[in-house]
Amino acid sequence: MGEGMELQNKVSVQHLTKYFGNLHVLDDISFNIKKGEFVCVVGPTGCGKTTFLNLLTRIYMPTKGDLFIDGVSANPKEHNLAMVFQEPSSLPWKTVEQNLRFGLELKKLDKKIIDERVEEMIELLGLQEFRDQYPSQLSVSTAQRIIIGRAFGMHPDLLLMDEPYGQMDIKLRFYLEDEVIRLWKELGSTVIFITHNVEEAVYLAERVLILSNKPTTIKEEVKVDLPRPRDVTDPEFIRIRKYVTDQIKWW
Amino acid sequence: MTEKRVELSKAEQRERNLKWLYRILPFFSILLLIIAWIAVSGEGSDFPSPWAVWTRFLKLLEKPIKKVSLLGHIGASLQRVFIAMLIAWVTGIAFGVLIGWSKKANALLGPMFMAFRSVPPLAWIPLITIWFGTGEGSKILVVFIGCIACIVINTQAGMQNVNRLFLDVGTVFNATSKQRLFMIAIPSALDAIFAGIRTSASAAWMVVLAAEMLGAKSGVGFLITRGMDSRDQALVLLSMICIGIVGAILAIVTQIAERVICPWTRTKR
Repeated sequence: MGEGMELQNKVSVQHLTKYFGNLHVLDDISFNIKKGEFVCVVGPTGCGKTTFLNLLTRIYMPTKGDLFIDGVSANPKEHNLAMVFQEPSSLPWKTVEQNLRFGLELKKLDKKIIDERVEEMIELLGLQEFRDQYPSQLSVSTAQRIIIGRAFGMHPDLLLMDEPYGQMDIKLRFYLEDEVIRLWKELGSTVIFITHNVEEAVYLAERVLILSNKPTTIKEEVKVDLPRPRDVTDPEFIRIRKYVTDQIKWW
Repeated sequence: MTEKRVELSKAEQRERNLKWLYRILPFFSILLLIIAWIAVSGEGSDFPSPWAVWTRFLKLLEKPIKKVSLLGHIGASLQRVFIAMLIAWVTGIAFGVLIGWSKKANALLGPMFMAFRSVPPLAWIPLITIWFGTGEGSKILVVFIGCIACIVINTQAGMQNVNRLFLDVGTVFNATSKQRLFMIAIPSALDAIFAGIRTSASAAWMVVLAAEMLGAKSGVGFLITRGMDSRDQALVLLSMICIGIVGAILAIVTQIAERVICPWTRTKR
């Protein structure tokens, strides 16, 4: 890998290995994600997809190897990243609006910018009527919208999403899939999107990484070079979807 | 469209009747208590009847004990309780946050606190009396000792059980350690802290009585001992009723305060 390549890589994972005690979760994984790329990660349940994101945000530290963002060892303090957690992670003591402000306030952005972004997110996610309610008053899928808004509102260079739409009904999921594409194009962010829904992965990604069972390695990479907006009934789309599904089914 | 009343099904009717029953039974419960009271204070018993307590109450209004009215006595007790609680809340929450958040502080100060809290607060009364006499300060100190432990324990538990996920959110959004403490950990521990405050109020009210019974010139604890010394059962019973009512009001007030300060706790579905 030449020096010039290094610069274009937003995320570079090198020989990443993680044990939890004796449990071998990630096994010597190496790959790169280019700046501005949209990558989906699919794999069987419990294969360490979430562990990978948690390593990238330094919630966990790697056993061996390292992850680099923009060529430096990953560190949320240095990079403008945001993450949509799989679990409902909105803060119960804050209203919807206060939750949306939270990340922006931690970063101490200008109040005017915060107001603007919060309004933008409330509009985008259709949260107007819930603005002053607490997460415990909302349904799971509505509460998940807060978390998506909280991450989008950061306008991150690197957006990490951990099965963000798992709880959504189909209509909302389709809408938010298009929204994440729009945001990605508008901001030129790099997106790593974890999902167990193969159709979703093929619909969104430029490249799909298929993970194996534990100890996890990258089983295969699939480039998806279809025009957008993608048509899920397009024969080529169906072919890729089937192919990815078969790869996951293999074991 | 014609308006038509929807007939309730049998099950719904039963549900509605039960709802009524649950609403009426509490009043019935109080009524039973009063009937039992009248029964035990009947002919030949020297236990004061409700009527005797009521006349004692009117007499107390006319002729205050130690020149302090009944409300004055209640006020004196409440004043001690509030001063002690205020100091206990400030120091107890600060200390609880410290040992709940910092593992080092917990290792160093935790055992000391455990030793302190395993001694019932009333056991301090003799030493405090020897050191500081029986003045106002001593009583406030006893009440303080009586209510600090539950605040510290609840605050500590709340701080130790902060949901890992919320702290991870802070990590991802690059929160400083100060922001993690003040914007994530403490707010998420607020309902536990309030549980401590609620318990402290009832503990303080209990301990102030004991402190006053052992030597005071005012307060409901003094009133009840005065009744005992002069074999005035009506006065004792009257004091007990006042103590009960004030205790209940204290519990209600702290509950309302919790709802106002932590509105998200009441919105759980």
